[in-house]
Amino acid sequence: MFTSTYRLFKFAIQNFFRNFWLSFVTITIFILTLLTINAIIFLNLMANATLKSIEDKVEITVYFNIDASEDIAKASQGYLLGLPQVRDAVFISAEDATSDFREKHKTEPIILSSIDEVGGTPLGHAVVVSAHSPADFPFILEAIETPEFSPYIRNKDYQNYEDIIKNIETINGRIQIGGIVIAGFFGLIAIMIIFNTIRVAIYVHRDEIGIMKLVGANDWFIRGPFLLESIFYSLLATSAVMGGTFLFLGSFETQISNFFGEVNISVFNYFLDNGLLIFGSQFVVLTLLSVLTTWFAMRNYLKV
Amino acid sequence: MIKLKNVSKLYKPETQALKDVSLHIKAGEFVSIVGQSGSGKTTLAKLLFAEEKPTGGSIVIGDWDISRIRRSEIPMLRRQIGVVFQDFKLLQRKTVGENIAFALQVAGDRGKRIREVVPQVLKIVGLSDKIDRYPRQLSGGEQQRVSIARALVHRPKILVADEPTGNLDTIHSHEIIQLLKHINSYGTTIVLVTHDRDIVNALNKRVITIQEGEVASDMEHGKYKLS
Repeated sequence: MFTSTYRLFKFAIQNFFRNFWLSFVTITIFILTLLTINAIIFLNLMANATLKSIEDKVEITVYFNIDASEDIAKASQGYLLGLPQVRDAVFISAEDATSDFREKHKTEPIILSSIDEVGGTPLGHAVVVSAHSPADFPFILEAIETPEFSPYIRNKDYQNYEDIIKNIETINGRIQIGGIVIAGFFGLIAIMIIFNTIRVAIYVHRDEIGIMKLVGANDWFIRGPFLLESIFYSLLATSAVMGGTFLFLGSFETQISNFFGEVNISVFNYFLDNGLLIFGSQFVVLTLLSVLTTWFAMRNYLKV
Repeated sequence: MIKLKNVSKLYKPETQALKDVSLHIKAGEFVSIVGQSGSGKTTLAKLLFAEEKPTGGSIVIGDWDISRIRRSEIPMLRRQIGVVFQDFKLLQRKTVGENIAFALQVAGDRGKRIREVVPQVLKIVGLSDKIDRYPRQLSGGEQQRVSIARALVHRPKILVADEPTGNLDTIHSHEIIQLLKHINSYGTTIVLVTHDRDIVNALNKRVITIQEGEVASDMEHGKYKLS
């Protein structure tokens, strides 16, 4: 058993090197296919992280009239915190609001002098509300308009991030579709190339195969090396892509982080944590694809 | 040993290679099957090592009815029947020793046994000193000896030789026939397919003549009768 397995591997490796350039091209196409898939994963990851980052920043500020009491503002805070759509509601006192305002406009003397002229605290209390999802804001904006609080509300500042989010989602969706098309294209080329590689290998080895049959080699011994060869292709391509991905992400982690600015995610760590799943599933799918193609090529060209 | 009963072989659409052939070859016999080109003698040889399946009738080797052999059983049959061809069928990129070892490797034999058997069969065919040569470095007769050595590695009870001297000159042909006789003397049944009159007449062994797919004659100490 061990001897036969060893020889199957030996013949498969011989096949691999005797058709080195064909093997090389096949692996290259496999690598391009996998790189495209991993690029999609990377872009998807970054797009999701960007969306999350934007979503986390989206908030509504409810400004109360100057005459609205702290109790009213705090009651509205409590009410808002009771809504399941609300992630957080922070009370900002009129004094803090004025102080923040001053800080924000410290380089604008006209504004500062206007405040000084009004005197005291020209701003009312405020409540800053963040939601679990930006889609919840329309509901929250409506919910605060109760008879209890509505008369005291001066303004509701809602920076509309929805358009930005939708744009990112649209771009991400298009990238995914484009990536899938490119990956599919490379996949198709990979199938055709491996089919041809095995066909050529069968042709090159036709004398050997004929003699194998003549001297009593069984089906598995004749077909096995070709199947193993196709598994080698998948293994080498996946290993190369895995090594290349970690090398690239490890070497340029800082640059990638800088490029994506505030998006707080370590792509390297993501691939490290999910590498087994990502590259394992890629290897399994690629192997299935190449084994099936090889089997199909053998069925057509290898008469055992 | 080998029993053919009413064997026929039809190649579609309408070439009747063999018609109702019945034969009995006993263990240890040396049988020449002769006939003109296209007579069906090679088809008969191919049936013996399951390269072809009969259209009708039965072929029994030992107790094994190979006319109904399953595809998965063919390798087992071929390890019990040695086959030699006119064109030697040697791998040019392997040495003599490697060509012979190859037959054992594909059958799953261990390295130790291979290292024992290869020199033994090379000694039988008289090529012990050529183990590291490549086929292109050998004469036609020597290449055919390598082919015979390879056919012997599984110690077959039957050796089918299909025109083994077809590519050889008279001297080398004679050497090959002597070698086959030598192997036959150890008890191996030899089925020699040939159209070489001189060889058949010199052998003075059983001769089965095939004509137009039928057994025209079967003589114990026969001669080549075809014109």
